[in-house]
Amino acid sequence: MKRTLAILTANPLSLLGLVLVFVVVFSAVFADFIAPFPEHAGAVVDFANFNQPPQWPYIFGTDLVGRDLFTRVIYAYRISLILGIVVLAIAVPIGVSIGLVAGYLGGRTEYVLMRLTDVFLSVPPLVLAMSIMGVLKPTLANGMLAVTVMWWPWYTRLVYNITRGEKEEGYVLAAEVIGASRLHIIFREILPNCVPAIVTKMTLDMGFVILIASSLSFLGLGVQPPTPDLGSMVADGAKYLPDSWWLTIFPGLAILVAVFGFNLIGDALRDILGAEQ
Amino acid sequence: MTTPLKLLSIAAMASTMLATAPMGVQAGGVLRLDEVAVGELDPAIASDYADSILMFNVYDTLVLPAQGGPGHVPHLAESWEGDGTSFTFKLRNDVKFISGNLLTADDVVFSLDRMKAMGKGLSYLFANVEKAEAVDASTVKFTLTKAYSPFIASLVRLPIVDKKTVIANLGDGEGEMKDWGSAYLTAQSAGTGAYKIVSHTPQEETVMEKNADYFLGVPEPAPDTARLRYGLEAATVRTLLAQGEHDIASQWLPPEVIKALAANGAQTLTESGTGAFYVKMNTTKPPMDDVNCRMAFAKAFDYGAAVKMIAVTDEVSQGAAATGAIPVGMFGANPAEQVIERDLEAAKQHLAECKYSPEDFTLEISWIAEVPLEERFALLMQANYTELGVKSEIRKMPWALFAEQVSKPENTPHMSQLFVNAVTGDPDTLLYGMYHSSSAGTWQSPEYLKDEEVDKLLDTGRTAATPEARQEAYAALNARLMELAPTIYGYDRQSVFAASDRVKVPALSDPSKAFGLDGMGFTFRLMEVAE
Repeated sequence: MKRTLAILTANPLSLLGLVLVFVVVFSAVFADFIAPFPEHAGAVVDFANFNQPPQWPYIFGTDLVGRDLFTRVIYAYRISLILGIVVLAIAVPIGVSIGLVAGYLGGRTEYVLMRLTDVFLSVPPLVLAMSIMGVLKPTLANGMLAVTVMWWPWYTRLVYNITRGEKEEGYVLAAEVIGASRLHIIFREILPNCVPAIVTKMTLDMGFVILIASSLSFLGLGVQPPTPDLGSMVADGAKYLPDSWWLTIFPGLAILVAVFGFNLIGDALRDILGAEQ
Repeated sequence: MTTPLKLLSIAAMASTMLATAPMGVQAGGVLRLDEVAVGELDPAIASDYADSILMFNVYDTLVLPAQGGPGHVPHLAESWEGDGTSFTFKLRNDVKFISGNLLTADDVVFSLDRMKAMGKGLSYLFANVEKAEAVDASTVKFTLTKAYSPFIASLVRLPIVDKKTVIANLGDGEGEMKDWGSAYLTAQSAGTGAYKIVSHTPQEETVMEKNADYFLGVPEPAPDTARLRYGLEAATVRTLLAQGEHDIASQWLPPEVIKALAANGAQTLTESGTGAFYVKMNTTKPPMDDVNCRMAFAKAFDYGAAVKMIAVTDEVSQGAAATGAIPVGMFGANPAEQVIERDLEAAKQHLAECKYSPEDFTLEISWIAEVPLEERFALLMQANYTELGVKSEIRKMPWALFAEQVSKPENTPHMSQLFVNAVTGDPDTLLYGMYHSSSAGTWQSPEYLKDEEVDKLLDTGRTAATPEARQEAYAALNARLMELAPTIYGYDRQSVFAASDRVKVPALSDPSKAFGLDGMGFTFRLMEVAE
């Protein structure tokens, strides 16, 4: 762990990733303290100060109903992170378990589980999420559900492939010979060997989940107003380009920072953990 | 053409292109404008602004609104006389359809029959017209079932179609007239208009060109070609206009964008006096079925902020403070200085008297996706109602979806934001379609209001013979509508169009040339386009 951190900080790119992610997480966690106008994250309008370019005290400018954009970006990070964490916390255990079971048991179980996975993978992710959101009411919880449904198959396939290789390894055969239960072998023997790959993918995915959630709300299917959301901020602001550029540029940059940060760390982790294996 | 000649002509074309390229885009008498999709070409189905632009250019009507004042002037008709329930029109005898057929009384009769039989679009305007008869080839007589004061005004919405062409192109359908040629007329024009259709794609673009045989002649400076595009993004229109690749933007641009365009040298064209911005409450859905709740929402709305939001420049605004249900300038309107104001205390009191308590409902506030400004009104209302302790959610609805959902009261949102105009310039056509119980469930009437007194006053307004009697009926109606509060009367509206300075549109810039009828200002033949 210490070594991992040392390698991470030694590489300038991954160090940048760490800094960006730290900025995102820090603003999300301490939003209430950092945001200059915490009430602007809710149903507030201030037509005396609407559509102002960046200036003190509105360092990112104000939106079309006079709310501070900086405040809203910070609160939007909070929503994005919650969404990312919840989605991965549900999708990863489901996906990993299915992948392990399918890979280890093989035969008919494998066939059924993996074809099911293929069905989900064959639908373009955004289309799948859009159709789910189209049927359900657009709320944060349903947004999470939609993204989760499209996310778990990727973990299934990843873990399935690793398991297929691992189950031929000597240590698995040894465990089988001494009579260990299937559950023990799957979760105690094989799973630990999949963890590096899973962790790497999760870090990379954190960025992508944020991106796809933003895409959904860009299309008007995500979090509903007045809750701040990066995707909807970009979508709304785009109508006022190029004059009110701050409405789009800052939320857009905020998405970039989050996605880029998680990706850099993910890449670095992949190199480190891959090398260890 | 022999090969050397071909080459030569290609070379000549290339050199002209080279010569003109540095000059920028050579428009050459093309007028480019945009509106919200879809453009409905069949005049019996046409109802909204885009449709009106098409209708007023490819078709003609018996009368036209007088420019710069009240009343109507003959157009396809030479003259008319009437006694309240029957009207006789003498037609011009020099008018030809684009097919070459001569306009006769038969075409007028057919156009009315078609409109009434199809029962779509603005056909309700002719509900009181019993029949039209051709007395001779150039005389047509309309008989009304009962006195209908706005009859002459409503004729501006009866475009005359070419009977022979339509009959020759009937599509599939039941009965003798099958589809009344609707399949044909949604793609083609069969009118006498100053412009004819070159191509028409309802979601994308309509291209029209001058009709050289127009009976009044089309002046030289009028655009040779008009390209009406649908559903352009605000940012796209903004960029196109700034680069000189667009001429007149739709009125639906947000005020900031018009402001920015004006600052860059665009002119602002205006059209006013016939409509208002309304927030319509679905009176069938709890808590909106209780008048006290509706009053509370109407009183809590921040009218001042709304008017401030729509200012474009110091001189030009997209509207003025409302005084009641009827816009200032129409029969029955309250005086201009008697503006409606926010009263939060009164709102709280009304809410306390409402039989629903704020914990038990969540308001659904919709906004039309094509009109970004409405999102801000939605946010304004959300903030206003939060002060009352009322929860609300905001829903973005594309126009097509909204128009479909309002046909059932249970699918109609609590609050719908709409810009409504008197389609003939007469208050009857503004109010009857919104508030009469028989017209519930259209995009104009998501209130689903059912009130006997309102119905009675609306009927009086359209049958009363004298202007004084109409004034009295509409004033009483205005008072009753304030009392019932089915609607939040947001502001009296003025349409503002940002336009390049290569076009001149007297009907939208000179009050003495204004028509007082929405969309009529877009009569292309009266515009001038610089080469």
